[in-house]
This record gives sequence, C-alpha cells and structure tokens, in this order.
Amino acid sequence: MRGDVREVLTHWLGADVRVVEGLSDEALEELRDVLVAARERQATAIRAASAEALRQMPPVLRGTVSKILGR
Amino acid sequence: MGHDLATKAELVKLARALGTTAEEIAFAAELPHSAIRRLRENAVATLYDEHKAAFQRVAMITRVLPTAVNVRITLRAFTPLLAARVAGELPPDRAAELANRMPVEFLAEACVHLDPRRAGALVHRVRPDRVVAVVVELVERGDFITLGRLLDTATEQIVRDVTATVATEALLQIGFYAESDEQLTRAVALLPPERLHATVRDALTGPPELRSAGLALVGRVNDEALRGRLAEYAAEEDDETLTKLLHTAIDDGALEELLLAVSVMSEQAQRRVLTLPALTEPHILGHLVRAVEKHDLFSRLAPVVALMDPDLRRRVAVAAERGPNLR
Repeated sequence: MRGDVREVLTHWLGADVRVVEGLSDEALEELRDVLVAARERQATAIRAASAEALRQMPPVLRGTVSKILGR
Repeated sequence: MGHDLATKAELVKLARALGTTAEEIAFAAELPHSAIRRLRENAVATLYDEHKAAFQRVAMITRVLPTAVNVRITLRAFTPLLAARVAGELPPDRAAELANRMPVEFLAEACVHLDPRRAGALVHRVRPDRVVAVVVELVERGDFITLGRLLDTATEQIVRDVTATVATEALLQIGFYAESDEQLTRAVALLPPERLHATVRDALTGPPELRSAGLALVGRVNDEALRGRLAEYAAEEDDETLTKLLHTAIDDGALEELLLAVSVMSEQAQRRVLTLPALTEPHILGHLVRAVEKHDLFSRLAPVVALMDPDLRRRVAVAAERGPNLR
C-alpha cells in the first residue's frame, strides 16, 4: 500500500486498515477517493442544512447560532 | 462470477453509508463480507465524528430550552439530517422526549441519518407506537437498509407489533439487511407459526429477490430448530417452486444456505425434495456436489444421501467424479 493512501485509510479505519490490505493498489486508491468524496458530500449536506436552519432563525439570533455551529 | 448474498447485502450497505452507488464501490467486492462490514462501520464512525463538536454545542442549547420550544425550532429550522445529528449528541431520554412529539414522516427521514452507535439507546426510549409508525413509514418508502439497521434496536414488543403490521415481503427485505444474526433469529422466532409459514411461502413464490432474501434468512438464522421449521414449510411447495429456489440458490452462490436447510428437514421432507426432477440434471448435481465439498457439508448431509434411491446416488457419484477437487 502506498504511503499517502495508507495515511488516509488509517485516518478512516484506524487499526482496521488491515481488513482492506487484500485489495490491489488500484482498488485502495479507489477506496481512498470514495471516502474523501463521502466526507465532502457530508460536509456539503451539513453546510446546506445549517444555512437553511440559520435562514429560518430570527435575525437577532443568527450571529450567535452561526458561532455555535462553527460557521 | 456472482457474489454471495452476505457480500451483496454488505456492498449495498457500504454504498448507502458512503452516499454513493454500487458501481463506485464495486472494488470492495474482492473483500470478504466481514471485512466490508468493518470498513463500513469504521467509515461511518469517522463520518459521524467529523462534525461532532458543532452538534454537541447545539445539543447543549437544546438542553436548556423547554421541549415544546425545541420541537418548534426543530420543525421550523432543522432538516431531518441536522435533527438526527443533534439527537445523537443529546441524552437519550431528552432526544426521545423530542422524538415523541415529532411528526412520523420527519422521524422516518431522521432515522436514515441517525448515528447507528446511538440509535439503540434512543429508540428504546421512544413510545413503541411511534416506533412502529416510523417503521411502517420506512416500509412504505422501501428503505429496507435503514430498517435492517434499526432491527438491532427493536425490543421484543416492537418486533411483535411490526411483524403483525408489515407485509411478509417487507419482513424478508428487512431481514436481508439486518446487522445481527442473533437479533434476526430472535425476531424470526417471534413470528407466529402462520405468519412464519406465509413468509416462507411468499419468499418462494415471489420474485427472485424475495427468494434470495429467503435463502439469506435460512442461512443466517442461528437456531437449528427454527431453521428446520423454515425448511419444513419450504418443502411443502410444488416442484416448480422448489426448482426455482434451486436455480436462485445456484445463481446467488447460496447453495450452502439451501443445503443447510435440507440437512435440518424431517426425513419425510428430505424424501420429498429428493424427488425433484431437477436432480436428474447433471449440471445441477454438479453444483450441489461442489457446494457440499466447498462448505464441508458431508457429515451434515450423510443422512440425506442415505435416503437417495440407487439411481440418484449413482448420478451424484458421477457428478462428483466429473467435478474438480471432488472426493
């Protein structure tokens, strides 16, 4: 397994990275790509949902709630 | 070559967990199903933990507000995704208090996004009638993957209520995606006999995906007596139906499940399945013999071999001699 791929997969899978070691290098790269894409998709969905939540808040609360959400 | 049923179910669940398609994760089919599951569980944990801090902060605010206000804010401003993620960071009692006041449609959508590690504690505290209503809503949406996951959280009473309410086809599909063999077995054991019988009949006489789900079920049930009851009901079906089941088992790589079922049938039922005309076909016998070899089912099936007439035994021997690596 290539070092950069192992680094990403270890972040995701921890010690269980060994369960995917049987995959080819090409498959491991595909796995890394789908995991990174999943993270991006989730971040986009949460950003959109948070923006919608803020839009529904009374304007006076938006600043505080925005800070709480870390936006 | 096709994948076994457990691998198929895991690939579907992995694709869902990562928000992608089966094609995008097709590379994972090379892994054993247990490895695909570990991969999914770790990936899900990492995804859920990623934004945890922000949701914990929101959860802290909701703790100090009255329930009615929280419900109003949630329904007005939060999507089911946000609500589910915040619920995962609330004490389960508090989250259940809110869930008990939410519309069923909202809860059903939120269930899809609920952290699987937190779902059990929450679902146990939600009113059972609400849980059943959410299950019915998810069945109507055809979301059997979420339902399979939620089966692990179901109490005995909820299983009884759901199985009395939901169509047998849906029960089979939920079972196909169930996470735990133990919980699946407990749930099947709670089915009244007539319901269990109808489930087997619908599996065998329905479309191929229901036959696949039925085969997966008989393979996953870890109680031999219960497996025997399922197999016994199956043996009551006619030749055409049982032959379709045999072909589905071959296509799905599920002959182990089929043979396990035959091994626990009564002698009378075993004699009945041995009369299937399909067993005169050499390629069918070849598949069966190879499955016995691959899954080391010789001792389990020895009593069935003893019931074969001399002609069938001779055909089996010929099939065994023809196949690779056969004894």
